Amino acid sequence: MSSKTWSKWLLILLPIVAGAYLLWPTYNYYRMNQERESLIGDSAALESWDLANGEDFAKARNARLKLGLDLRGGMYVTLEVDILKLIEESADPLSVDEDFTNILEKTRTQTDNTDLDVLDTYLVNFRASGKSLLQYFPLSSSDEAKGGDPEKAIEEKLRNDAAGAVDQAMEVIRQRINKYDLSEVNIQKQGARRIVIELPDVKDEKEIRSLIQTTARLEFKRVMMNRDLIRTFYTIDNVLKGVVAAEPVVDTTATDSTAVAKDSAAIAKADTAKKDTAAAATATTDTSKKNANPYAGLSDDEVARRVKRDYPFTYMLTGLFAQSEKSSFQNFDLILKKAEDFPEQGIYNFVVSGTMLQQFLKYLERPDVKRAMPADLDIVVAARPEGTPAKDGTPEFYNVYGVVREADLTGDVVTEAFPSFDQSSNQPMVLMEMTGEGAERWAQITGANIGKRIAIILDGRVYSAPTVQNKITGGSSQITGATSPEEANLLAVVLKAGALKAPVKIIEERVVGPSLGEDSIRRGVTSSLLSFALIVLFMLAYYVWGGGLADIALMMNVLLVIAGLAGFGGTLTLPGIAGIILSTAMAVDANILIFERMREELYAGKTLKAAIDQGFEKAWSAIIDSNLTNILATVPLLIWGSGPVRGFAVTLLVGAVITLFTAVVVTRAMFTLIAASGATTFNIGQKRTA
Amino acid sequence: MDLIKKTNIDFVSNRVAIFRASVIIALIGLAATFLPGMIDLGIDFTGGTQITVKFAKQSASADQVRAAVGEIGFGGAEIKSFGTTGEYLIRINETGRASEISADIVAGLQKSFSNDTVTLLGADNVDPKVSSELAFDSALSLFLATIIILLYVAFRFQFAYGLSAIVALAHDVVLAFVVSVLFNKTGLLNLELSINSLAAYLTILGYSINDKVVVFDRIRENREKHKGMSLVDLVNLSLNETLSRTLITGVSVLAALLVMVFLGGDVLEGFAFTMFIGIVIGTFSSIYIASAFLIWYSDRVQHKSVGELHTKKA
Repeated sequence: MSSKTWSKWLLILLPIVAGAYLLWPTYNYYRMNQERESLIGDSAALESWDLANGEDFAKARNARLKLGLDLRGGMYVTLEVDILKLIEESADPLSVDEDFTNILEKTRTQTDNTDLDVLDTYLVNFRASGKSLLQYFPLSSSDEAKGGDPEKAIEEKLRNDAAGAVDQAMEVIRQRINKYDLSEVNIQKQGARRIVIELPDVKDEKEIRSLIQTTARLEFKRVMMNRDLIRTFYTIDNVLKGVVAAEPVVDTTATDSTAVAKDSAAIAKADTAKKDTAAAATATTDTSKKNANPYAGLSDDEVARRVKRDYPFTYMLTGLFAQSEKSSFQNFDLILKKAEDFPEQGIYNFVVSGTMLQQFLKYLERPDVKRAMPADLDIVVAARPEGTPAKDGTPEFYNVYGVVREADLTGDVVTEAFPSFDQSSNQPMVLMEMTGEGAERWAQITGANIGKRIAIILDGRVYSAPTVQNKITGGSSQITGATSPEEANLLAVVLKAGALKAPVKIIEERVVGPSLGEDSIRRGVTSSLLSFALIVLFMLAYYVWGGGLADIALMMNVLLVIAGLAGFGGTLTLPGIAGIILSTAMAVDANILIFERMREELYAGKTLKAAIDQGFEKAWSAIIDSNLTNILATVPLLIWGSGPVRGFAVTLLVGAVITLFTAVVVTRAMFTLIAASGATTFNIGQKRTA
Repeated sequence: MDLIKKTNIDFVSNRVAIFRASVIIALIGLAATFLPGMIDLGIDFTGGTQITVKFAKQSASADQVRAAVGEIGFGGAEIKSFGTTGEYLIRINETGRASEISADIVAGLQKSFSNDTVTLLGADNVDPKVSSELAFDSALSLFLATIIILLYVAFRFQFAYGLSAIVALAHDVVLAFVVSVLFNKTGLLNLELSINSLAAYLTILGYSINDKVVVFDRIRENREKHKGMSLVDLVNLSLNETLSRTLITGVSVLAALLVMVFLGGDVLEGFAFTMFIGIVIGTFSSIYIASAFLIWYSDRVQHKSVGELHTKKA
């Protein structure tokens, strides 16, 4: 085989391999998903399946071709932050007069049905009125101290608030939705003041909806990490022990050997912290010899299983302890101990692994657990995992805090918060300011708790728990300890939740019921396959062997369009299917153009080789012009089109580019190979007599 | 197989009559569709709340559903059903609470029709603000796409060709729109104008321009090959030479779309129907409208000699 033939073969085979490679995760995902669905109902088997295949499954899921909500069912919500309401709330309520509301109203009518930037429009209107911003908006003490143009400073603050409002709403919504353990939630910022939320597999839209629209609550609570907290952990264990054991998750009657095998395999693969705990538990009790170790003589797996049964709550926790602030933290375990076994003095820290977080939070939400909690204590978990985001494989840990139940201070006293840098250490930090009233309370709280920690809690999750260094008077606080500017930024956004209640409203909401989604996928796929089969058969009947080659090119075309979409992380929607139909039609047309030309040449008495060359040569200009016209026409659709139109444009663009490739390069390579093999006739359905 | 032999059909002699007739039909149709109540705008463009429900046993009639929905507290609701029995669109002129409304309606309907099973197929809630933005964005992107097509064809061929393509495209979209609007009145398919049906019209545009470019390409080629041939002859020759391709491509794509019209389900059928109509019209306009306009424009506006058809020419 000459190098030329080789390169032709490569041209044909390489794209097929590439396409198959890109679509492999999609195939894998659906295969594994089916396997997994068949296990639903058998939670032990499901758990062990998840542990064995969870990682591969997640990987396949991420790389698969995603279906739009219109095809698979789900909920789509667009939220808009009401900037005007925000402006209204930022203003000093005492100075608001008719002029002020008139400007707001004017801006509202101007911006209601357009895409104009609300704040810009408002500022233009405001200036036109000849008024001063200072008349309505309070100037923060730090801005006052800085000097400079107060008008500019207020404008800047409004701008920051507007931008922050969107981020804050996003953070709150993300945190709340994550609680639901919904797979593949997509939360995106759209433009400057909109948030798009896509939720596939939603069971209760009403609940999600109220969750999106409830305003977040910012609280400051003293951290209480001591023996009492450990006692509470054990109390929860006792509450859960009987109840949870009755549930199949930890139902471990050892009679069914396969079940045990599965279960122990699950535990063996589970988070290392748990196993360490279990192993350490046996070790500790062996040496202490205080009482007979109930787990003595059992295999590691069996111990782990029993620990899980006896300590359904505590087994998820890993404890860290330090004698004082100066000494380093040591791991300790909570199994087979009593609260009294732990020292009264010292610093406690607890973490829960990310893999168990959902379960952990679910237990805390249970009414029986809530009833058993002491009246003055609450258990809360960090919003983000500790440290830098973990890479593949390494478990993430979330800090668990005991805090006072009643908030020491609520967030509405916060007037301003922004990220900054500590001048001396160059570490990121957050500056926070409070109202006069708030500052008084803050001074009392900080004064009484020097050296203790205060948790900053938004919506029940802890964003930071700084240690009070000294009594803070005057309301200006510095919060250090953020490990990155991003972290500081997030904390500032969270703190602002107290100052501004990012008013959001739903401006678009679409729900596609799961039954419609299922039905539309099934019918869509069947009818598309049938349509495609029809074209394939038609080409074969009309152009015989030539049609067969064209069919190969066509299948490659569809394969590559879908693979391309999957590879770029695109989503297939209904309008996207229209784009694929059009690009396939154009690919069919390209082949027909070529064959009709070849036939003309053959009828004119040309040899096969000449007919192939001429056919491609002459059809080429029509193919490139028609495809290029379409490619260019997708550009404005991609830039200005709204969601569905863009979905159409993406598949059409990808499809037209691939059509150019398959119809011209691949089909041609196949014909060249045939001509090179020495054939003098080739049946493309032409009349024999020619 | 070779169904379409070398042809020598006269496509151009009656061009003026056919063009006029076509334009008149398109204009009358367009005027008719703009009579009040003719165009059914979907929720995307009107704003409001729309709920789709299905009655498993098909026990409810539209009037019964309307009465039941009225009892639930939405008196002014518009009730529609298409083709598939047992499915209803319930449209309420209120925004902001789609989930609550849909949950209430499904629960209420289930109570009223306790011997049937009511399932929620979908709910849409579009703020009038969003719908006007959607309409504006759609119109803008469509307009710009048209301009780009005009410029590209003018650049690759001549300005007259670009203009002819646009005239033919406008004709195709208008007629496809008219047919869709009229057909929607039969209630067999849901052909309301929505953001998704916009994708169908874009597909028609894309297919149709492809068709026109193929013919223009042949004219361009023949102009070089047969120097001195009149434009009328060139056009007719090129139409004949591309005829088999035009029909074969058209028929195979139409057959594929027909499958989707009948089997595509709620989501694809309306979509495929509009495309089907558009491609029939687009194929016709490649032969009669685009070339007729090209000849007319060259003759009357550019004052070029276009010649007369040599019917004897092989």
